[in-house]
Amino acid sequence: MKSPLVHCSKCNTALVDGVFNLPDFTPCPSCEQPLQVEVFPALFRAFAPANAGEAVMTDGEASCFYHPQKKAVLPCDGCGRFLCALCDCAMDDRHYCPSCLEAGRTKGKIKNLQNSRTLYDTIAIWLTIVPVLFFYFTFITAPMALYIAIKHWNTPTSIVRNNKLGYVVAIVLASLQILAWIAVLWMIFTD
Amino acid sequence: MAQREYIRLTRSHARSGLAVIIAWRSSLWLAKDHLLCVDTNGYMENYKRFYFRDIQAVSIRKTQRALYWSLVLGGIAAFCAVIASIASPGFDVFFWIVAGIFFLLLALNLLGGPSCVCHLKTAVQTEEMAALNRIRRARKILKRIRPLIESAQGRVETGQLPALMQQLARGELSFTPSSAAIRIPADMQPRTNE
Repeated sequence: MKSPLVHCSKCNTALVDGVFNLPDFTPCPSCEQPLQVEVFPALFRAFAPANAGEAVMTDGEASCFYHPQKKAVLPCDGCGRFLCALCDCAMDDRHYCPSCLEAGRTKGKIKNLQNSRTLYDTIAIWLTIVPVLFFYFTFITAPMALYIAIKHWNTPTSIVRNNKLGYVVAIVLASLQILAWIAVLWMIFTD
Repeated sequence: MAQREYIRLTRSHARSGLAVIIAWRSSLWLAKDHLLCVDTNGYMENYKRFYFRDIQAVSIRKTQRALYWSLVLGGIAAFCAVIASIASPGFDVFFWIVAGIFFLLLALNLLGGPSCVCHLKTAVQTEEMAALNRIRRARKILKRIRPLIESAQGRVETGQLPALMQQLARGELSFTPSSAAIRIPADMQPRTNE
């Protein structure tokens, strides 16, 4: 079970007193490594018991889609189904049912649930730059880079720098390389 | 102009001390309600979000890593300078250039200031912030996010801390999520699709 206490990152001793919210470093009571630890009220916050939802009292009262015995408290912002307090998953000021939350995670519709992304724009750029060192490889890699850039044009790139610049650079460089190859081949076959 | 969703707090820094090119690098970004830690290896990014309402503690531990790097870089630079001063003309230029490069790296390392390891604790994890590997930077970021965390959580009065920590150590204040697991009664089990 995870300890609620803060531990020294060197010796893993639980810190109880004397090192918290001080303006400068203080030695760890156990290993004497200089530590500065800032604690916030969340450390002392007790977890509120989950609200299991109220039972439906009268016939005709709106009930939860997933738990027909429980009173509905709000609709899902994704699918509109009625949800009880237990099924209500709050996320970014919106409320989802567990199914929509799962769908949002797997299909990437809820941005804040995404925990990884493939950077196709970077891959396309690398495919146009690195093979230049071994020029003949560009015969294969330039069309590959162009294909990746066009195929993934609408695929979201990095969360923190979401623009198309990488794709544009890759398309321009790949196109130039392909044109260069066409010129070379044209010169070879017309001589 | 639309406001940017993420503001960069730190440039990306290698997760491993010796990693130079092919390695996971970590950077820190600020959103309106959370910190985003981005780990990238160049063609893929992994994201970890730390919501201000969930951050329990931030710890900074001073390390000697920057000092050791200074000694290594300074030693190599000095060695190259000595070799350059006794090398025959022609070779000395090469060693002066190498010494210059290592002196430059030494200067950059010294400019960064003392090194540290920074950890961020929530109820379910303690995560190392690889991007905060210098004391000056770590303190600057902490100073920037402290008001945001306090606006989400409130603040602990310094005078109350010893008593609160003692209560926490005795288990009188909070309990961990595993002990607070939600038990769903039999009559409330989700219905299956017919």
